[in-house]
Parts: sequence; structure tokens; C-alpha cells
Amino acid sequence: MSGFAHLHTASGFSLRYGASHPERLAERASERGMDALALTDRDTLAGSVRFAKACAKAGIRPLFGVELAVGDPTPSVRRTARRRAPVRGGAFIDESTPRVTFLAREGATGWAGLCGIVSAAHADRSGGEGRSAAPPLLPRPECAAEGLTVLLGPASDVGSALAAGRPDRAAKLLAPWREMYGDALRLEAVWHGREGTGPGSLRLAARTVGFAAEQRVRPVLSNAVRYADPGMGPVADVLDAARRLVPVDPRGELDSGEAWLKGADAMLAVAERIVEAAGYRRSAAYRLLEQTRATAAECLVDPEDDLGLGTVRFPEPHLVGAGRRTAQRALASRAAAGMLARGYDRGPKPHDYWERMHQELDVIAHHGFASYFLTVAQVVDDVREMGIRVAARGSGAGSLVNHLLGIAHADPVEHGLLMERFLSRRRVVLPDIDIDVESARRLEVYRAIIGRFGTERVATVAMPETYRVRHAVRDVGAALSMDPADIDRIAKSFPHIRARDARAALEELPELRRLAGEKEKYGRLWELVEALDALPRGVAMHPCGVLLSDASLLARTPVMPTSGEGFPMSQFDKDDVEDLGLLKLDVLGVRMQSAMAHAVAEVARATGERVDLDALDFERGDGDPATYRLIRSTETLGCFQIESPGQRDLVGRLQPATFHDLVVDISLFRPGPVAADMVRPFIAARHGRAPVRYPHEDLAEPLRETYGVVVFHEQIIDIVHTMTDCGRDEADRVRRGLSDPESQGRIRVWFAQHAAAKGYDAETIARTWEIVEAFGSYGFCKAHAVAFAVPTYQSAWLKAHHPAAFYAGLLTHDPGMYPKRLLLADARRRGVPILPLDVNRSAVAHRIELVSESGKSGGWGLRLALSDVHGISEAEAARIADGQPYASLLDFWERARPSRPLAQRLAQVGALDSFGANRRDLQLHLAELHRGSRGVGGGQLPLSGGRRTASAGLPDLSSAERLSAELGVLSMDVSRNLMDDHREFLNELGVVSARRLREARHGETVLVAGAKAATQTPPIRSGKRVIFTTLDDGTGLVDLAFFDDSHDACAHTVFHSWLLLVRGVVQRRGPRSLSVVGAAVWNLAELVELRREGGLDAVAPRLAEPVAEPVDTGGAPGGGRGGTGRRIRMPTGYEMHPWADLRPAGEEASQGPSQMRKLWHQSPGSAG
Amino acid sequence: MTILCVRFQLPPGYEAALPGLLGLLEDFTPVVEALPPDGALADLRGAERYFGRDAEELARLIRVRALALYGVDCVIGAGPGPLPARLALGAAAPGAPCVVPEDLVVDFLAELPVAALPGVGTATARTLCEYGLDTLGRVATAPLSTLQRLVGARAGRELHEQANGVDRGRVVPNAVARSLATEQPFPRDELNPDRHRRALLAGTEELGSRLRALEKVCRTLTLTVRYADLASSRTGPNGGTRISTTRTRTLKEPTAHSPALTSVAYAMYDALGLQRARVRAIALRAEGLAPADQASHQLAFDPVDEKLRRIEEVADRARAKFGPHAVTLGTLAA
Repeated sequence: MSGFAHLHTASGFSLRYGASHPERLAERASERGMDALALTDRDTLAGSVRFAKACAKAGIRPLFGVELAVGDPTPSVRRTARRRAPVRGGAFIDESTPRVTFLAREGATGWAGLCGIVSAAHADRSGGEGRSAAPPLLPRPECAAEGLTVLLGPASDVGSALAAGRPDRAAKLLAPWREMYGDALRLEAVWHGREGTGPGSLRLAARTVGFAAEQRVRPVLSNAVRYADPGMGPVADVLDAARRLVPVDPRGELDSGEAWLKGADAMLAVAERIVEAAGYRRSAAYRLLEQTRATAAECLVDPEDDLGLGTVRFPEPHLVGAGRRTAQRALASRAAAGMLARGYDRGPKPHDYWERMHQELDVIAHHGFASYFLTVAQVVDDVREMGIRVAARGSGAGSLVNHLLGIAHADPVEHGLLMERFLSRRRVVLPDIDIDVESARRLEVYRAIIGRFGTERVATVAMPETYRVRHAVRDVGAALSMDPADIDRIAKSFPHIRARDARAALEELPELRRLAGEKEKYGRLWELVEALDALPRGVAMHPCGVLLSDASLLARTPVMPTSGEGFPMSQFDKDDVEDLGLLKLDVLGVRMQSAMAHAVAEVARATGERVDLDALDFERGDGDPATYRLIRSTETLGCFQIESPGQRDLVGRLQPATFHDLVVDISLFRPGPVAADMVRPFIAARHGRAPVRYPHEDLAEPLRETYGVVVFHEQIIDIVHTMTDCGRDEADRVRRGLSDPESQGRIRVWFAQHAAAKGYDAETIARTWEIVEAFGSYGFCKAHAVAFAVPTYQSAWLKAHHPAAFYAGLLTHDPGMYPKRLLLADARRRGVPILPLDVNRSAVAHRIELVSESGKSGGWGLRLALSDVHGISEAEAARIADGQPYASLLDFWERARPSRPLAQRLAQVGALDSFGANRRDLQLHLAELHRGSRGVGGGQLPLSGGRRTASAGLPDLSSAERLSAELGVLSMDVSRNLMDDHREFLNELGVVSARRLREARHGETVLVAGAKAATQTPPIRSGKRVIFTTLDDGTGLVDLAFFDDSHDACAHTVFHSWLLLVRGVVQRRGPRSLSVVGAAVWNLAELVELRREGGLDAVAPRLAEPVAEPVDTGGAPGGGRGGTGRRIRMPTGYEMHPWADLRPAGEEASQGPSQMRKLWHQSPGSAG
Repeated sequence: MTILCVRFQLPPGYEAALPGLLGLLEDFTPVVEALPPDGALADLRGAERYFGRDAEELARLIRVRALALYGVDCVIGAGPGPLPARLALGAAAPGAPCVVPEDLVVDFLAELPVAALPGVGTATARTLCEYGLDTLGRVATAPLSTLQRLVGARAGRELHEQANGVDRGRVVPNAVARSLATEQPFPRDELNPDRHRRALLAGTEELGSRLRALEKVCRTLTLTVRYADLASSRTGPNGGTRISTTRTRTLKEPTAHSPALTSVAYAMYDALGLQRARVRAIALRAEGLAPADQASHQLAFDPVDEKLRRIEEVADRARAKFGPHAVTLGTLAA
């Protein structure tokens, strides 16, 4: 017999329900001889696109559907026995709402119907602000969508009436369904081998079949699948536990283990048992299967035609300012207007500009993308009108039309950017223009877009959050009733890796060795953790994607409101929407844009000077010498893109002097170029240490700007074009093909033929091909780099000319990779006075204040902001700022009405010092004011002289306590650098400060110490795992690298301590390039403690301890762990350490006041 | 006058061994005050002279005897009053008793954190630490009025006195077993209310029979439910304290009758309304013990009550003869 079609299948997209990915389900269905498979996830269609693609690959026909909770037919107040609110642990999750499966039957109508009911189910959860949203529920009147088939299974209201042995009631409940769906109604029988009459029992299945015959409704057989393979019952149990927030009860009802994707024979056996139990002959099983097959055959939704895969819809032209003209006409006239407005028609090469513009317009007309450009231009105009900084990024910056429409800032002709890299006749993919806006106002931009185009055309994009190792450990641990302390410890000791790598990481990572020793203790934990790998566990709004479409959007994507802001959000993620041909505009919130906007606003507020960053003329010529001096000094903390340790090192070696140098610098600092070692030859050629070579003089033109080294995609395009005369659009296609090893071979032959035909000799061809092959897939798009370099220059200019305002902006919007306290230390080093928090002077955001007329920073100091106080709400901060000035403590208390903990914190960090008395006395007064305001006790305030607060004789905060209060409350050491307290001890040890380190010789062994500011394990050319750490010791930054051989001894301490003492060897690679290679590391906080308690004699034994932790794992023979030599080979050809490029462990510092907020940075490594 | 403060290192769930250990102390001095669940104060008055040994030697003696007789180790602090003795306990270790001589009391106190004082709980300690009064030395120097503003008039005065080494406490001999406790742990996070009630029933049955064996009745019953969750502030590498809920009810009349205890325990449990709470243990404690012959009992017309009491009496006799598990409730036997 032919295969069985499963009509009811949940994938992992059914959050915490399905245990298999859609791809796996499609694969298994095909293996088990089925030719159709339905995907009916709970409450979501998010898996549909991946499922459709997987089915196409596996060669089976996909059916689309969804399983939804439905409301009562007569909306009445449901009688629920009110239970007492639990004193602890919360109430049970109520899952008693009946659930029904819907299948799309009639093509696009069916798909639209599905989208409609899913949106309706989500729309009704009017949680409102603050309240947690109710689970999705489809109100009964909304069920009547067209083109759907409905399966009433054991979980439906009819099913539960049958389970309760009430066919009469079932008949009554069936009536409204029959009315609504008539012939498209099916009753679904499921047998999972359970006892009794509940869902999954043989008796309920038999009753369903019997009832169907009696009611003349067609029965179908399904297996209510939730995992692909047998034996995954325990995984389903864990998911159930995680969903219901209870532990797995091994004595309670567990998953039957039967809900897998059974093959046709197994389903026939199931059918036979059911019909026999229902009292029919065994042959009736074939009729049941036939009905099932017929139902599947009816459901005809074609992924291409009906879901809209591969078609594009843009907003209607009249919405984007085209009026009654066609979009193309409107675009052409706007571009021409831009040409005149920018004066290119009067510039040096007007002809070039006009020709380029017309070429581009032709390409756009060819694809019919004019509306798209107008849409983006409209959005950019709207954003600019709101006074929000906006900039385009991405390859779109290479289009002159984009520049003329005002979307992109940089002039592509001037910078030699190519349209073909962005869009050409031969490129069929959707072009993509990303726009950067101020992060703080990103949601405003979203609202403006929704307001302009309407909710029926705009939706944000979903981003599924998937299980990675830490969450998997937490959920599985909780399900297995493990000790919460153990769960916490295990979860935190893992780096942020995939769940499926859990056991491999235990084997191989040195910092997990201790955990690996007790691995056996936790039994099934590891297996289950790995089984959860990459399953979605929640869904969030993608931080930048916005869908823009015509009015048919809601018929093509299910939409749900986002939890916080209530924006409409498509259930599809960014890859899905691309496949669906939905136009996505990436609106990225960039913190640096916000920071610069704040800095400019501060300068205007305090000095009246209007700074227009966009009017700075830096793209041509030499730019501002002070700015480049700053960049060359590598003190670029806080500057966009060039602040990371690696970038500071590169900037030091490259010594940029023009805008073009910045563009090159940014392009070079990418994983590709770093991996391909393009940096060294470039630096050598730039500083004249190596001659500039070109493979052929014809190629000198494109390669001259980068001294013969290929850096940009545009150069590859030019080379291929020059050598083969194939046209730049074809050359771009060739360039894309280079990253695929298979097509590379073909391209090589093609390239050799065409170049030879053009008359190049074999040697030139071979040399050129070498370059093309080596760098082709690594280079960076110059358009990106130019777009990046603009804010880089702007931020560096601000830092050079308005340092105080620059730091105010940085601290307010926190754009960088470093903790705020490091920025503060940098400000202090650059001579910007730090003014402490003061309720009478501080505003909500960081401000600048005139301190003196002279001084390095022009006399401007940085006044700390109220918003940085731990736990302050926006309303409280605004209230305090609005009520200024305050005459006394009482005045402050009564008018600003701070909460008591907030007032205490303010007192601790000295924000109330102007009211007299010491900080502890102030706290006591506050406590009494608080008591008094609650009507308890109260009475007179001991104030002396009305204004000043009287002393209560409490000891004032010691200097160390003040520092720790500052760190605890503000996460910044305001009064002085926290390392200053340890200076004496560090001098005893002979530790070299960051400032003195600059004079250190190459190869010298030194001791350095400091507070950890950043840790990274980026991918490295050598394929090794290197831990990069930056320490701050108050006099500057020390960049450290730990190589493989020191990991056994150092990794754990580096990841899990905050204050570090490191022994290492100085490495110099240039006048400004210096780092220390770590050999041994100690937790400085621990040493300081020992010093304080037992003097130097107590420190000595700790230092004398062997740095390597003993290997007590029974010995893995043959080299053991750590550098096992396992390497992941990237598709681009270079090798990577399996554990590089992931976020390291160590969220909690074993020392230091960092329990609540981050004091150092960790990033997944690769920049950009 | 020398006071010893002893803490026996009882394994969890071995509270029942405390009365025997107190008996051991009573071999040395009649003035022994039990500090349940695992400690005691002993006033050595004449003992030092009687035994011809000083406090430290006596402490070693007590430890050796406790180890020999009960296999239980203990920690001992000694001082001129109950307060210094208790505080000394904190600085002592098994085999290393800490003795605070009278003239060094104030110096000894000055170094201690405020939370070490009995009567200063986490809340008071937190308040004091917030104001920089983290050691007793600092508390001692703070003005009395300020202390009173911080923690209230009476508590402030007591704190002030105690921090200055003024100890008004005495060792008051009390009934050896003022309370009886039982704890039923669960092997995993238990949410099932039936199993919870079963644990309650087992607990009240045990308490009842132990009370009757001692010929005592209890006045109040305390229920403690311990959860798997850790207090959020205390999670860390060393684990943390488990969160628990405690409820106390006074019985209608003092009794040792198991069904009466059971119904009170059930009522307290039901009032918690637990649903998803991950329960790791349920503990019951019978408090306010008094001799059974002094208890009054309200007679009822309902013969069932009378019958239950008779059955209980018979069951008790059977247990006395054949061991504690000879007769159990059917619900618990399954």
C-alpha cells in the first residue's frame, strides 16, 4: 500500500511542545515512504517556510496547518473554581482549553485563512501594559475562515465529551462545528497506547470512530506527532515540564513514547486495533486510512504559488509620493532633482554622474524595484523630519540613486563604489538597504513607519530564541528536580555554546575540567540537554527588520503583537521573509548615533554652539588634523568601530591620515582579511617597507589605492572585469561564486580562457588568479566600509573637539564594547573632570558643565546622570530633575518623592552631600522620613538651622566603602580608580603599570594587574583558540593574549575572576602596538585578601602553588584535552578552533561588586 | 561563674537525640537550658570546683563523653555569662573550645559582627550594617539615642548594653524536651498534594505516638514546608539557603491525639494553597509540651472520637511491644 499521511504534526516551533525540527520531520517522512506530511504547530505558522523548503528537498508534499486553542461557541463567563492563591511557587498552567487542528485546503485562500485565524488568535490576548499576555485563543466566531479543513481530535471539546463518556454532549458540541465547516469537518482518532478513556487511549479512539459513523462525519487517523523518532519520549517530558513549569514526575503520567512519525505499516496496525475496538471488521481499517489519505489529498497548498515564495510586493506607489505617476517616473524625477540639489551637474565630471544615474535607473526599471527605492526614501525622509540621525549602511551605499534620494550619505562616484555590488541585471535576489537610526529612538521610527503605511502593510520580523547550552541545562535541570544551586553553577560555567556541544565541550575545554569530573553524577542531564539543541523556546521581535508590503500582507503572513510595545510582528523570521518575497527594510538602532546626537545636543545646550556632524567636510582632502592625531594615538576608546583591542592595535600599525585610510582600516579588521593575512603586506607596503606590486599594469588602477593588496569586493569585481571584459555585473556574480569550492573550479577555467583571449600571458593569469582565489571571498564591501567610516570619523572628531560632551553621550547611550567605568577612566585620563552625582545638579542624562575657563577639556566637566543609579525608574529620575533645586533634605524628600531604597543609594554615592551631615546620618534621616511618611511614629526632624541636616553620630563611609557604593550603585568608580586602593600592594609585587608598560622592551617578562574590561575568544587565522583580555589599571589599558598552551592553567581564572594579576611576556609589533602574552594568572582580589589578612607571607605560598590545576580526570591518553587538534573547517577554507568565536563563561565575578550589572565586556568575537 | 554553650553536631533529622545529650550535660551541673534544636547552655557554678577542672577541661570532657556515648561531636564556647558563651561558640571548633575570660569580654565583642548577637536577626543586622555599624565595637560607640532611632527604643537599649558587655541573661533550666519535631524529606521536587498530605499524616502519627510515649500533650503545632528554590540573594558557588514557609496554629485543646493533630496540620497545609511549589521536605513540630495528666479534654457525644482514641491506645500498646512499625495506618502502609 502507499504511504500514510500524517495530518497532525508538531515541530519544535510549537514552543516547548514539539521535539523535532521541521527539517528532521520532512526527512524522516520521506525515509519512511510517505509522500505528504502536514505541519500543524501550536499557535504558530513560523515553521512553515523551513518546512516547505525541507519538503521540497526531501521530495514530499507539504501540507500547512496550525493547532489552536479555541473559545466556547457561546461566549459566557466560564465557571472556574476559584482556588486559593498559592503562598509560593505560583499556580498551575491551565491547559484545559480545547485545541483544534486546522489545515489549509484551498490554495492561497486556505493559506490566507490560516494566517487570518492565527493572527486572530493572537490578537485577542489583550494583555495590555504590565499584565502578562494570556495564551493565544481563537474566539469561536473567528473560526469561520474559508478554505480550511478542521480536525477535531482528543483535545477538542467534542473529544473531551467523548472521553467523559457523553456522546450526547459530544453531538451537541459537534453541531456548531458542522454548521461552520460542513463537509470540511473531520474527527481525528489517536491511539498512543494509553489506558483508560483519556486522550491517546484505545477506547477514546474507538469511540471517536464510532461517533463519526453515527454522526456521518468522516473520521481520520492521526498520531498527534510531536517528535520524529521513537525513543524521544523523555525529551517530550522535559518540554512538557518546561512548559508547565513543573518537574517531571516519574510516577505521574509521562509521555507515551508513541507520538513519533510512524510509518505506514505501523499506522495500519493502529487503524486495525481502533476499528476492531470500535466493533467493525478489521478491513474497515483501510477505509479509515483511505479517508485520511483523501483528506490529505484535498489539502492543496502550493508553496510557490500560494505562500508567495519567490514573488515580491512593494507598497502601492501612491503611498510613497508617486501620486498618479508610475513609481519609475517618480523615482527618475526625484533622482534628477537630487543631482541638481547636490550640484553634481555643475561639478567636475557632470557627464559621469548623469550616465551613472541613468544606468542605475535602467537596472531598477528592469527589476521593477522603483517603489522599493521610493519606499526607503520616504522612510528616511520621515525619520529625518523627526530630527533623528539616520544613515544608510550596507551595499546600498554603492548606488548613486540612493545617494541622490538622500538615503546614503557618501558619494559613491567619489569613493569608487559600484552599483553592481548592490544590484544588477543579473542579480535576482532582493536588494537590501539598511538604515541606521539612533537606538534610543528606534521605536519612534517604527511607529512612524507604521503610521505612514498602516498596520495592514507593515509588520516587524520575529526572531526565535533557541535553546543553547545554558538554557537547556536550566530547563532540563529543573525538570529533573536537580538542586537549583547545582543547576545554576553548571549553567554558568558553560560558555555560550550550542546545546548539542555540551558533552564535547566538557571533554575539551580546560575551564570545564572540574565540571567534567562530576559529569556522571547528573545522569541523563547531558543527553537531554543535547536533545533540546536549537529548539525554539520563545520568540522575540527582531531588533531591526521591518516588513513593508502592499495591502495583502496579512493574507500572506500571520501577525502577532509584540509583548512590550504591541507592534504587529510577523511570525516568520528574517530568512523566512526573504524566501516569502516580503520586502524587509533593516532599521538598525545604533547606539553610537544616539550618543553623538546627545553629545551634539549637550554642546548646543551648554554653549549655544550648533555642531552639524553631517556638514563636516572630511571625505575629500585631509580632514581635521586633531582628529587624525587622536586616532593615530590609538586612544580611541568609545570611537565607532575602532575601539576594540584588535582595532586599536591595527590603528597603531596603520597610522591612518585620511578618510580613505579609515575605510581601509575598517575593511581590514574583519575575520576574513585577518584570517587571510592581508594585514601584514598592506602595512608593510603602506610604510614603504615592501614594494608595491601589481600582477599587471592594467590592474594598477583598481589596486593603487590599497598598495596592491586586495581589500574590497569592488576591487575583485574590477580585476575580473578588467581581465575578462565580462562586465561588472557578471564579475560580481563570479565574485560570489568564489566562496563555493565547487564553482571555484569552474570559474578558474572560465577566467583563464577569457583572460587568455584578451591577450594576457599565462604567468599574469596565474598570478592574478592566485590573488582572486585567495582574497576573493574574504574582502569587504567598500560601500559598507565607507558607510561605517562616516560615524567613525564623526565620533573621533567629537572626542577630539568636545571630549566632555562626547563622554556624556557615550555614558548616556552606552554604545561600546567596554563597561562604563572604563569610559570614565578614559575621560579622567584625558583630563575631563568627573563631577559627582548631585541631586541639585545632575539631570536624567549625563551632562556637561563649565568647571573652569582653562584646562585640557576647554574647562568642561562631565556631570554624572541620575539614570545611572541602580534601580531608578524613568519617572523618578524625571521627577528629581524637574524639582531642582532642593533647599534641604526634607524639601528633596517631599517634592522629588524618591523611593526609600533609591534615596538611600543616592545618599551612599554622595548625591545628597550638599544637605550637610555625613552619608550615614543622611541615610538615618531618610529612614525616619520614610517611617514618618507612612504614618508610623514620625515626629520632628532633627534639623539644625533649617537647611542643614543634623549629625546623628554615625560613622561616615570610609573611602573604601564609598568606592564600593559607587560601584554598587553606579557600576562606576567615580571618585577614583578602583585599582588605586591596591597600588601599594602592586608596588610591593613590582607590577608594571599600563603607562610604564609602553616603555617595556619586546620579550621582557612583566607582571601586570588590573580590572578586567573585556574578554574575547575570536576566530584566529592559526585555527587556535586565543583568549584576549583587556585589563584596566587606572593608568591605561593592557591588552593580554592567552594562547592554547596556557589555557589549562589560566582559562578558568581569566573567565571567572574580575581583578587579575598576570605574568606575561611583552610583544611589540609597532611603535604603538603592544600586548602581553599571558603565562600565569592569579585572582588579584584573592591575593589582596591574603595580603590583608596574613601579610606577604600568606601571599607567597599562593604564588608558589603550581599554576596548572591537577588533571584528575583519569587521563585521556594521547595528548588529552585542550589542544586536541580538532579544527572546524570553514566553508571559506580556513580552519577554526571548535571553541573559538563564542561568548566565554563567567557572568558572575567571584569577586567584586558585579552581581547586578556588567562591569566588563564579553563579545562573541568577530567584529562587525 | 562560667557558662558553657554547647552545640551538638547532630546529623539532620536527629533532633530526637537532643534530650539524651542534655542528660549528659546534667551529669555535670543541674543548671542546663536547652536551646533546640541542637544546643544547650550549662552553668558550671560549682562544677569547676567539684570536678577540680577548669571550664576548658570540662568542655573537653563533655566532648569526649558525647562522642563515646552518642557518637555525636560538639562545639563548645565558654564565657562569664550566657551571651559571651554563645558568642564564643562562634569562634570555637570541634576539639578547640573557645573560652572568653571575664576581663576580655568587651575586647572580644568589639571584633564580632552584629549578626553574631542572639536576637539580632537578618533584618536588624542589615539595618545596622547599612549604617556602618557592622561590628559590636562600632555599635558600642554609637550614641544610645541613635541606636534607638535605628532599631526602636527597647531593642536599641538592649543592643547598646549587650555590645558593651553588659549581660543580664541567666541560665534557666527548662524542660528538656519543650518540643518534638519530625521531618519528611522527598527524594525529588514533589508537587503532588496527595503525597504532601501523606507526609503530613506520617508526621502527625509519629508526633502523636512520641508525645503519648512521653505522656505529654502539645499546645501548638508548627508546619514548615521547605522548597527546592534558593533564596535569590544567597545563590552562589557555595549554594544557598532553601526557602521555606512556616505556619503555626494553636490547638483547640492541648492534646497528643494523632487525628486531632492531623486535622490541624491539614488545615494549615490547605491554607497554603500550594500548586506549582517544588516541595523538598515537610516538617512538623509539636510545641508547648505539658504533662498529659494536666490536660483537659472536651468530651463529645460522638462515639467515633471515643473509638478512635481507644484504637490509638491499643495501637500504642502494640507498638510498645512489637516496635514502632508494628501498627500503622493503612494509607501509610501502601
